[in-house]
Amino acid sequence: MTVDLRPEQDHRARAARLERALGPAADPANPLGHRAVLAADERGELLADGERALREFGLNAEFVPEHLGGRFTRADRLGQLMRAVFRRDCALGIGYGVTSFIAALPVWADGTPDQQARVGRTLLAGGRVVAAYTELDHGSDFSRTEFTAEPGPGGYVLDGGKQLVNNISRAEMAVFFARTADGPGSRGHSHLLVDLTALPAGRVRRDRRYPVSGVRGCLLGGIEIDGCPVPGDALLGAEGGAMETVLRVFQVTRAVLPSMVVGVGDTQLRTVLEFARDRQLYGRRLADLPSARSTLAGCFADLLICDAFASVVARSLHLRPGETSVGAAAVKYLVPKLLQESSYRLSVQMGARSYVRTGPYAIFQKTARDLPVVALAHAGSAVCQASLVTQLPRLAERGWRAALAGEAPEPVDGGSVYDLDAPLPPLHLGGLELNARGADSLAGDLVRLHTVLAGQPASAPLAALTGLFVTELRGLSGRALALAPRDRTVLAGPRAFTLADRYAHVLAAAAVAGVWWHARRTAPDTPAADPAWACVALHRLAGRLGLRPGPLPPEPQDRVFADLTARHEAGHTFDLFRGRLASGPA
Amino acid sequence: MSGATLTAPTGGWTPNALAAELEKALGDPGRIVRQSAALDRAERFPAGICRELDALGLPRWFVPVAHGGELRDSEDLAQLIRVLSRRDFTVALAHVKTYLGVVSVWLAGSDRQAAALAARVSAGEVVSLALTEQAHGSDLLAGDLSAQPLPSGGWRLDGEKWLINNATRAGMVCVLARTRPEGGARGFSLLLVDKAALTPGSWRALPAVPTHGVRGADISGIAFTGARVPAGALIGAEGEGLETILKGFQITRTLCSAMSLGMTDHAMRLALRFAGGHRLYGRTLAELPQAARALAESYVDMLAMEAVSLVGVRSIHALPAEQSVASAVVKYLVPSLGDQVLDALRGLLGARAMLVADHADGAFQKLDRDHRIVGIFDGSTAVNLNLLVNQFPALVRGYRAGHADEPGLAAAVTFAGPPPPLRPERLALYSRSGSSVVQSLPAAVAAVRGIAVPGSLVARCDRLLAVADEVHEALSAVRPSPRGVTEETFALARRYAVLYAAAAATHLFVAGHAARAADPLWRDGLWLDAVLARLLRRLTGEPDLDDEDGPAVDALLPVLRAQHDEGRLFSLFPCELAKEKP
Repeated sequence: MTVDLRPEQDHRARAARLERALGPAADPANPLGHRAVLAADERGELLADGERALREFGLNAEFVPEHLGGRFTRADRLGQLMRAVFRRDCALGIGYGVTSFIAALPVWADGTPDQQARVGRTLLAGGRVVAAYTELDHGSDFSRTEFTAEPGPGGYVLDGGKQLVNNISRAEMAVFFARTADGPGSRGHSHLLVDLTALPAGRVRRDRRYPVSGVRGCLLGGIEIDGCPVPGDALLGAEGGAMETVLRVFQVTRAVLPSMVVGVGDTQLRTVLEFARDRQLYGRRLADLPSARSTLAGCFADLLICDAFASVVARSLHLRPGETSVGAAAVKYLVPKLLQESSYRLSVQMGARSYVRTGPYAIFQKTARDLPVVALAHAGSAVCQASLVTQLPRLAERGWRAALAGEAPEPVDGGSVYDLDAPLPPLHLGGLELNARGADSLAGDLVRLHTVLAGQPASAPLAALTGLFVTELRGLSGRALALAPRDRTVLAGPRAFTLADRYAHVLAAAAVAGVWWHARRTAPDTPAADPAWACVALHRLAGRLGLRPGPLPPEPQDRVFADLTARHEAGHTFDLFRGRLASGPA
Repeated sequence: MSGATLTAPTGGWTPNALAAELEKALGDPGRIVRQSAALDRAERFPAGICRELDALGLPRWFVPVAHGGELRDSEDLAQLIRVLSRRDFTVALAHVKTYLGVVSVWLAGSDRQAAALAARVSAGEVVSLALTEQAHGSDLLAGDLSAQPLPSGGWRLDGEKWLINNATRAGMVCVLARTRPEGGARGFSLLLVDKAALTPGSWRALPAVPTHGVRGADISGIAFTGARVPAGALIGAEGEGLETILKGFQITRTLCSAMSLGMTDHAMRLALRFAGGHRLYGRTLAELPQAARALAESYVDMLAMEAVSLVGVRSIHALPAEQSVASAVVKYLVPSLGDQVLDALRGLLGARAMLVADHADGAFQKLDRDHRIVGIFDGSTAVNLNLLVNQFPALVRGYRAGHADEPGLAAAVTFAGPPPPLRPERLALYSRSGSSVVQSLPAAVAAVRGIAVPGSLVARCDRLLAVADEVHEALSAVRPSPRGVTEETFALARRYAVLYAAAAATHLFVAGHAARAADPLWRDGLWLDAVLARLLRRLTGEPDLDDEDGPAVDALLPVLRAQHDEGRLFSLFPCELAKEKP
C-alpha cells in the first residue's frame, strides 16, 4: 500500500477523487454502492470493501497534520470532504474516519514529538487510534470519570472500564481520559496515549460489543482494564490538563462533525426527491404537488443553513480562535437538530416507503436510524446547550452590546470567515480559547450587514429578515443579563436553555447572511450568490423562533426548488460546496 | 399469566376498568418486553405471546356482543390496544390487526356473514385487511387488483396487495378489489377471502417485507391469479367497498391513537427510571430543572393525546355523523404528538435510547422505531390532513352557525358510564355539520369561567376562543387550488387539529371535574391549564421563553411522579397497572 504524502492543494480535486473512489451510489453492481451499504448494515458489519477503499484513498492522512506527513490543513475542508463518506454510509464515516480524528486531536495539541510521530505513523499506515472517553454510568459528565491512572512503578497503572468506544476491539492505540487525582476540580484528569497491543493479556478485555439501532455496522465496544501498568511516557500533555485540552480541541470536532453529517441529509433529500419524481399520486407526480415542493425546497434550505453555519464556524477555528468555544457548541447543538427535524418531515412525505428496508428507497430508513446516533456522538445537544448557557451573560455584556450599538470592531479577517473558498491561515489548536470572554464577532457582522442591507432598496426582503434577528439579539441580550445566578451554570433551568437555543439560531442566521453576502462579491455566478436561498433559509430560521416573518413569497422558494432539481439532474451535491457526484453525468 | 380468560369487569364502570383487568391478566410487563426485544432482534414473529393472548380469549373482544363476542364498544378496544402497546407494539399490531380485517363485516356484512365470521374469529382465526398496492401507496382509487364476476356467480380475483400486515399468517383476508374497470368511487368492492377455500396455485403469499420497526411482524402481501371466491364473499353491495372501508377507517383510525398512548406510557416509564437514577453534576438527572421540565412537558403532551383520543373514540358512538372530522384529527395528531414525546425522551436518555440490547433490553429504541409506523399505516398523516382540508367549508359553516349536536356532544365528553350504542348507519364520509366539539367551544369556555379555577386557566380559555376565531377565519379564506393543496393549507389543517384537541380537553374537564374533585390532577383545573398552555403554543406559534407556561407545566411533576411510583397508568383517570418485577 502506498500513501500519497504530498499535500494536495486542490480540495475540490480531492473531494472528487474520494467520490470517484466510492463510485456511483445508486449502481447496484457497485460494491460500495447503497445496496452493498444496506446489506452490510443488515449484517451489522462495517462495509469491508468500503474500509479498503478508504484505506487505499488514504483517508487517515486527512486527519494527520502536514508536518507529520498528512493532509490535514483546514477544518472546513475536512468537513466538506468527509461528506462524501457520510452521503454513502454514516457507519463508515464514523467507524472508519471520525473516531481516529477525534482521538488524534489531543495528540496534535499536547503530544510530544515522539507521541505525535507514533500516532501519525499509525494513522498513515491505515491503523486506528480510538478515543476512550465515555463511561456509560456518567455519560456526558466527564468530571465523574471513574477510570483511573494511578502512579505505579515506571509509569501509571490503569484501572476501570470505558464503554461505547468505537473500534476499541481492533484499534492499535487509544487515548484514555482518566482520573489521575482524587477530589473535585477540573485538574483531576489526564490523557494517556496507550499502545493497546502492548497491554498484558489477561488484564484487558475489549471484546464486548454494544449493538445500536443506528450505524449498526460500527463496532461500538467496551474495554475493561484490571490494573495494567503503562510506561510514564503514556502521559499525554500535562498531568491534570486533560479537561482543558478537551475543551479546546473538541471545538474542532464539534464544528467539523456536523459539517460531515450534512452528507447524510444530502442522501435523504436525494432519496425523497427521487421518490417524489417517481411517485404518481391522485393522478399527478408527487414532485408536482405544491406541498411536496415546499417540503423539499425547505429541507434543501435547511441543508444549506447547516452547511453555512458549520463551515463558517470551522473557518472561525482558523480565523477567530478566541470565539469558537461558543460557535462550535452552537453548531453541534443546532445542526443535528435541524437535520433530524428535516429527516422527520421527509419521512412524512414518503409515508410507508420510509418504513421499508427494501426497494429503491431503502437507504432512507437507514439514514433515519443513523442520524440520532450520530447526533449524539461526541456531545449530545443538552451538553452543548449547557456550555452555551454558561457564556450567555458575558456575551450579552460585551459582544452583543457592542454589536447592537454598532460599535463592534471590524474583524481583521475582513469577513473571510464567510468566504468559503478563500484561503485560511493554519489551525493552531493551542490558540483556541476555553471561553470567548464575551466576544461575538458573528453578531457584530450580522448587525453591520443588516445596516448595509437596510440602505439598499433592492435588498429589502433580506434587510427585513436580518432585521428580525437583530431585534431578536436585542431581546436575548436583555434576558441574558437578567438571568439568575443559577441560570448561568450547567444547572440552569429552561429559561437559560431557551435562550441558548434562540442564540444558536441567531448565529446560524448570521452565517447564512454572511455567506450569501460574500458569495455575491467573490462568486457572483454561483447559486450561493442568489438571494433566494438566503431568503428561504432566513425565513425558516425566523419561523422556527416564532418571529413572524410573514408569508414566504413563492419566487425564492421556486428558485430554490429549481436549484435543487437542477443539481439532482446534474449530479451535484446539495450543499454550498456543490461538488460532483460519481453518479452524475461525466 | 393466569389461566382465566378476559371477561368484562364486573365492578362499577370506569374509563380504564377493562385496561386494569387486562393488566391483571397479563401481569409483569417485563416478561413480554424481554421476549419481544429478543424476537425483534431476531426478526421473529411473537407467535408464543400471540398464542397466550388467544388463550386469554382476546380474539373474542374483536367480535361485538351482538354477534356473540365480548366487544361492548370502541372504548374496550382502545383500552386493550393501549395495554398491549405499553408492553410490545409488535404483539399489539399482530393481534389487533384482526379487528381491522373484520370491522367491514360488522359494518356492512350480512347477518349470516357476521355469524360465520364471529365463530371463526372467536376460535382464533387471524383476519387481515388488504388495501394497499406497491405502485399506489395510499391512493386507494388507483388500486389495480380486480374482481370480475363469474358467470357461475362468485368472483375471479387477479392482482397483488403489498405491505399488508398479517397477509401471510391470516386465514382470511378482507380484500379491496376493483369491480369496475373504470374504477371511481363506486368502482371498488370488498371481498372476504377464505384462503383455505381457494384453489391451490391461484394465490400466493408475497415475501415478508423487512421494516424499520415492528421487525417481528408479518408485513407481507398476497397475490391472486384467477382465484375464485364465492358470491357470498362480497361484503355489502358491489361498488360499496370504498365507502365501507372509509367508514371502517373512522373507527380504526381513531383507535390507532391508543397505540401511541401505550407506547408513550412505556417510554415515559423508561425515561423516569433512568432520570431518577442517573447522576449528573452532583444530582440526579430528574432533579436538573431543564430535564424535569422536559419530563413535565412530555407528560402534558401525553395527557393532551389522551384527552383527544378519549373524546375521539367516544365520538364514534356519540357523534357518528361527525366522525369523518374527529377520526382524521385523532389519526394525524396523536401519533404526531407521540413522535414528539419520543423525541424529547430520547434526548433525555441519550446514548441509552440507541442501545439494542444493553439498557432495559433495548426497549426504548424498539418502541421508538415501532411507533413511527402509527403515523403511516391505516391512513398516513398526508391522507388525514387531506380529509380535513376537504371538509374546511363545512367546518367554517358549522363554526359560524355555532352548530352543536348538544346531546351527542354531552355523550362524547362525559365519562360517567359506557358510551351510547354504535349506530354504524350514521357514520358519514363527510360531516355536513362540522364538528360539535370545536363549534361548542364558547359554551365550554363559559362553563370553565363558572368553575373555581385559577385566573391563568380562564385567561388561556379566552385566548383559545380568540384563536378559534382566527383559525376559522383562515379556513374560510382557503380556495381550492388547481395545482393541489399547498403547504400553507396543510399547516392550517394541522392547526385545526390542535384546536380540536384543545376544545376536546376543555369539554372533558368541564364534564368531569365535579366527579374528580378529589383528584389532584383535576383540582383547580391543574391538567387542563398545562394542556392548554402547550396547545396554545402550537396554535399561535408564539415562542415560550419560560415566562408563562413554566408554573402550569411544572405543577404536574408531582402527579407524574405519583402515578409512576404508585404503579398507575399515565392517565387522566385512575388505572392500576400490573407490578413490574425488577
